[in-house]
Amino acid sequence: MLSFILRRIAAGVALLFVISLLSYTLLSIPHIDVGRQLLGQGAPQDLVDAKNAALGLDRPAMVQYLDWLANAVRGDFGTSWFTSENVLRAIANRLPVTLSLMIGVTLVTAVLSFLLGVWAGVRRGAVDRFVQVFAVVGYALPGFLVTLVIVLVFAVRLGWFPAIGYVGPSQSFTGWLSTVTLPIVSLSVGSIAGVAQQVRGSVIDVMRQDYVRTLRARGLPPWRIVFVHVVRNASAPALAVLGMQFVGLLGGAVLVEQIFGLPGIGSMTVTYTTRGDIPIIMALVMFSVIGVILINLVVDVLIGWLNPKARIA
Amino acid sequence: MKRSAALIAMLAAATVLAGCSGTDSAPPARALNIATMTLPQSLDPNDANGSALPFFQAVYDTLVKREPDGRYSPMLASEWKFSDDQTELALTLRADVKFDDGTPFTAQAVKANMERFRKGGGAQAKTLDDVKAIEVVDDTHVTLKLSQPNSAMLYYLSDAAGLMANPADFAKGEALKTRPNGTGPYELDQSQTVIGTKWVFNRAKGYWGAKLPYDTITISYFDNETAIVNGVKTGQVNAALIQEADQQISVEGHPNVKTTKQDFDFQGILLFDRAGAVTPELGDPRVRQALNHAIDRETMLAKIRQGRGTVTSQVFGPATSAYKPELDTYYTFDQNKARDLLKAAGHADGFTLKLPRIPAIVSEALAASLQTDLAAVGVKLVWDDVDQGSAVQRIFRDRAFSGMVMNMGQSSTDWVVVGELVLPGAFNMFGYTDDTVKRLLPTIQSKPAAAAKADLQALNEHLVKDGWFLPFYRMTYLHVSDGTVTIAPQDGMAVPSIYNYAPAG
Repeated sequence: MLSFILRRIAAGVALLFVISLLSYTLLSIPHIDVGRQLLGQGAPQDLVDAKNAALGLDRPAMVQYLDWLANAVRGDFGTSWFTSENVLRAIANRLPVTLSLMIGVTLVTAVLSFLLGVWAGVRRGAVDRFVQVFAVVGYALPGFLVTLVIVLVFAVRLGWFPAIGYVGPSQSFTGWLSTVTLPIVSLSVGSIAGVAQQVRGSVIDVMRQDYVRTLRARGLPPWRIVFVHVVRNASAPALAVLGMQFVGLLGGAVLVEQIFGLPGIGSMTVTYTTRGDIPIIMALVMFSVIGVILINLVVDVLIGWLNPKARIA
Repeated sequence: MKRSAALIAMLAAATVLAGCSGTDSAPPARALNIATMTLPQSLDPNDANGSALPFFQAVYDTLVKREPDGRYSPMLASEWKFSDDQTELALTLRADVKFDDGTPFTAQAVKANMERFRKGGGAQAKTLDDVKAIEVVDDTHVTLKLSQPNSAMLYYLSDAAGLMANPADFAKGEALKTRPNGTGPYELDQSQTVIGTKWVFNRAKGYWGAKLPYDTITISYFDNETAIVNGVKTGQVNAALIQEADQQISVEGHPNVKTTKQDFDFQGILLFDRAGAVTPELGDPRVRQALNHAIDRETMLAKIRQGRGTVTSQVFGPATSAYKPELDTYYTFDQNKARDLLKAAGHADGFTLKLPRIPAIVSEALAASLQTDLAAVGVKLVWDDVDQGSAVQRIFRDRAFSGMVMNMGQSSTDWVVVGELVLPGAFNMFGYTDDTVKRLLPTIQSKPAAAAKADLQALNEHLVKDGWFLPFYRMTYLHVSDGTVTIAPQDGMAVPSIYNYAPAG
């Protein structure tokens, strides 16, 4: 297991390097005139040129990349071109917001989708049809529509939750809970729908296995069969889907963060990418890749723990 | 099952908490929460620009204060006087002002600030181009020597160029970018501020001037108006500016929301290429007039801005001396006349006009509307769909286009408008001029706007009749509050100055 983890980490470092090179190259291609963006459209060209030179943008892209890489390896990601904020501090300020959403949605999804999936897979019949319909509707509804309806009903109309903003848990736990509840609910709808379907399918598959019949024949109580044996064996594929959903949440978070005015990584990515703020974007790309590598590693380890056969692969 | 029980408990707690979330997140009695879609590049006065000015006004004072109606009143300078030939501006400074560290504010500080601003490479550095020398007379007197008269100088001193920082910080590298140090009514609360997200300003103890009504001002950044509108409706945002017509309509119907209208930006095509360098046909004024007659401004305003604005054919706004109301409707929608003018200019078969399309400015509807109107008179409008970054490069550096659709703020200071649109520069990149403009500019430049009114109006009329531009309409923006704040629109700025907010009632 240890050598497996070490191999994965080494591959991750190589991947980071390749992705950083690719990202920098891609970011350099559009030739966004950063100086002009900073100084406005009415600025004289000589001033714009001077600004670009001050930022080092008049050098070849590869030189800029190597310079960036040398600093990044030392942990210096520089400052944002557009807001002068320290890149690491900027990301550290926004990461808790997005992590709150991602972890919240994953927990809610894990619990509810397992309950729904197991319920549908074991009981079948009307319950199954209900869960299936919920899953299809939940998956088919556009995320932005769900979010907008939720914010309009529960925040603007009923005033139960704040419509915008984020309060850190260290500042006020209740404030934090009230600011993240609606965003988590919005993101969970589609997520639960996807994972519940997966759990249902796996449970049905496992229930048909011979060993389940044997367990039944031996007179084990049904709840024990389901919660100890079936769920454990059915969880591996669902866990893989859950892991992918977690990674995918970063994309979904963009919209939810924008609608709820949450200062997270998602909305930050959009704001700074459209401006061409390379120091911020590169750091975001790097941390996202590290996040994805770690999550996949955790999921693989968990699956291996649940199902020893998977460790061989 | 334990986990689901915990979840149910969490959801129940959230529901209960929701009831008191209002008290949790409600700002204290004397706090103002402003929402903005402008990100300041830093809090160093060198980087001050446009709609970011309120961030700076909180922590720095300007030499001259610009009142909501555009009048100038004393701030750090208690008096000022132009020489008869308008090339010297003598400023008398307040003697009782100190920076946060106790350093007195003096004429030397003014000189140090203005010299630094001029060389700082910021967006507004060019506004001090006409300042030849800054002469310190004594601690409270300073004289600006101008290389030529500039009737916008007081405007600039009430804007970015007039922001005064503590010179003690000039040698500290980039300190001012995130730790502003001025004489302003507020100080940045470093512990509450998250740069890029929200800036919190607390009242500066011992501020020399009149106290503003709020103890704390928070300016929060949002990247879309939907969140701002929801925040205003729920009272989480006290004040904001809403530009999109759909969002304006959505917010207006809400019972808690108070609104104030302001016509500020005009939208139109800035035709740079009046000498016909890129599109030779545009060198003929009749062609430019034809384009002006070809577009249906009324329908564009009704459909694209849902009627929120006023059609116009002039680039000067109603608050300027150059403004003539009748010029708003000078170019009527008359496609026959447009065809006749094109025929007279020798282009009966029309021509092709290529313009860059920046989606943030030119919506699908606007793009299609202009294309249809111009096609009806034989002009083929080709949109060059490029991303904003590349477009800007090709427009300003490569000068690849004959014009572009812009939203331009309408300054109330005539010379600012002239400087931006008529004099050679970024928006007159081919440096075009003509005899009438050459004749009128020197007299306009040497007098205050009110004294040069006749010449300014003659200039405006000439620009309209000669088809220098292709304006569509002035857009109505909406200042909205959650009902707790009264907002006075600021002359010359889309966003109100920090001084323009007061508790309602």
